[in-house]
Amino acid sequence: MDLQFSVADLSFREEVRTWLEENAPKDRPQNDRKALTEYDINWQKIQWAGGYAGISWPAEYGGRGASLTQQLVWFEECGRAGIPGIDTCFVGINHAGPTLIASGTDEQKSFHLPKILRGDVIWCQGFSEPGSGSDLASLSTRGIIDGDELAVTGQKIWTSFGDKAQYQELLVRTDASGSKHKGITWIIGDMSAPGIEVRPIETMAGDADFCEVFYDEARFPLTSVVGRLNDGWNVAMSTLSFERGTAFMLSQVALAQVVEELIDVARTHTGPDGRRPAIADDEISRHLAQTRADVAALRAMTYLSISRGAKYGTPGPEGSISKLRYSDLSQRVGRLAIDVLGHDALNFRSRSQLHSWVQEYLRSYAASIGGGTSEIQRNIIGDRVLGLPR
Amino acid sequence: MDLLLSDEQQEIASTVASLLTDDLGNDTIDVRRTPTPINRETWARYGELGWFSLGLDEGLGGVGYGLAEEAILFREIGRQIPPGPFLASTLSARLAALGGQSQLAGSIAAGRTLVALAEPRNPDSAAGASISGSFDLFDGQDAEYVLIVTPRGAALVAAEDLGSLQPTACIDPSVHLATVDLSGAGAALYRPAGDDLLFERGTILIAATLAGVAEAVRDMATEYAKVREQFGRPIGVNQAVKHRCADMAILAEAAAAQVFFAAVSVDEGRGDAAFQASAARIVATDAALEGARANIQIHGGMGYTFECDANLFLKRSHVLDRQLGDKYAELDRLIDLPQAI
Repeated sequence: MDLQFSVADLSFREEVRTWLEENAPKDRPQNDRKALTEYDINWQKIQWAGGYAGISWPAEYGGRGASLTQQLVWFEECGRAGIPGIDTCFVGINHAGPTLIASGTDEQKSFHLPKILRGDVIWCQGFSEPGSGSDLASLSTRGIIDGDELAVTGQKIWTSFGDKAQYQELLVRTDASGSKHKGITWIIGDMSAPGIEVRPIETMAGDADFCEVFYDEARFPLTSVVGRLNDGWNVAMSTLSFERGTAFMLSQVALAQVVEELIDVARTHTGPDGRRPAIADDEISRHLAQTRADVAALRAMTYLSISRGAKYGTPGPEGSISKLRYSDLSQRVGRLAIDVLGHDALNFRSRSQLHSWVQEYLRSYAASIGGGTSEIQRNIIGDRVLGLPR
Repeated sequence: MDLLLSDEQQEIASTVASLLTDDLGNDTIDVRRTPTPINRETWARYGELGWFSLGLDEGLGGVGYGLAEEAILFREIGRQIPPGPFLASTLSARLAALGGQSQLAGSIAAGRTLVALAEPRNPDSAAGASISGSFDLFDGQDAEYVLIVTPRGAALVAAEDLGSLQPTACIDPSVHLATVDLSGAGAALYRPAGDDLLFERGTILIAATLAGVAEAVRDMATEYAKVREQFGRPIGVNQAVKHRCADMAILAEAAAAQVFFAAVSVDEGRGDAAFQASAARIVATDAALEGARANIQIHGGMGYTFECDANLFLKRSHVLDRQLGDKYAELDRLIDLPQAI
């Protein structure tokens, strides 16, 4: 048991820190989503130029091929440099790319992977449907083979960046005769195909990069199928466990920084009593201390799961534990920020740094729903970690 | 960087676990439910095995492992909650050794000299060369010394200098509890807080014990949910039960991860060791108390009985929460510490 990083990892940290100081974009736009998308893409391009794009991707596919420990170092340093997430590029880097690497053809890989790494394209996810949320395998958007094409008809929903993406990882039902997990096909959806209509949905946080997507006999070549026809469930699941493994590491690591910033705000900002700094209130002060402790433990859990990953290989269902803990904690931090802001907590959509806490508070409600709801994560822990009967 | 137990550490954990299981099973009386004098033979055997000096340097007469190994041992104590002044013995052996009283250190480490923990009832009663104030005394029976550990310093006082004890029944039936008032009692040994990090070490060992409790109650509740049937099915199929078990697993994982992170932070001399220790205590206290509560609930009527172990884990958690400060004091300390490295 040790917390020592190897000499190679330490020098990697030095290298990354220096590089980030010189290259990391500053002043991430808070409330302007269009500017945020440009920021994310620009950051992806900078990473590519610096040789850090696809930190977890194998080097043979153009990624950095970093070890788990070096991925941790990278994310810790990004957190320190104030880069809290990669929203716009998340699906491409953490989901579509790894799926293509695991299951794509050589043509698919050589065409798409460099584009994702270079920040030339945005990907979105076409998994959930109005009738298929947690029960994803019940999805019913139809894909009918017609010659060398698939004609897709149906609807997807909760598609982040659907209005900006060029490609979509699209799950369609190509066989409805068997069990629901069979007969699903994973295809690369070109968002410019005729028959696709994207409608943004306004979220409770006032953002509109969340979309529903309609397909009316939208046609995709059969060469866009990833993996085998009707085997899309397995193709998707192989990368969902990846997502629960390391993809959330950056937000988990960055949360520690967010808590420290909130403590700084509480030291100076007038609290709910309108007289003293928020931190002078015992209840706020103790809640801040509690989140400090909890975020420390979240980091320790990340270290523990990296230790497990290094020893046993693939990330296990324990990833659900960190994910749950993170979503809960990020919501508590957001809620606490509202208390710290006191009278300023109602001010919405202001450009001030202070009011971005309000926006982040509202956004935090997505954390326990997206990427598998907390209820589904608890099922996974109960069933696969604790072995409880189903 | 590796937070997993090494093979050697795993070996320590399983040796401690099986010995505790044997001892608790072999006793003719149920020592976890009855206030009983410490079995001196058992205690000396633990001493011989190095349990009270596991993390003490060999040069000081210890086994020469680190705080990580001590935390591993205390986690096993939390999993089985045997009675006895494990914490006071471990901390006082170190205090005596660091204070140059090697003979006393050796005798405590060997399990021949018993030491009780004295906890100040208010911040004005504190450790110093001369000690005054009101204290709770844990496991004072047959003790030759009492140990006081505060963030400001640590002291050993000879039991004969204590004056009269007022014994009182403890919520945890295996703990001997008494109160004692001291006015100017002279310390046999006093060391102000410094590089010893005695308070932080104690905090981490309390947290390790609580993490062990959290794991024990998670396992108890999960096993019960698998076998207890109602409406023709195991109760664990119900999400109301399953999700509660999942929450216990999350709490237990957070506690253990943070405890080991903190212990290694001390062993490696990290600058944020005090921060990590404080966080460990807070997280582990939540994990144990919330887990113990859920465990009672999942056991239903059985969980409310004295016969079921569920109540013992809850009660021990409350006792641990009142040693070396408490969760509130820890929160107030943590908010004032510099941020983690």
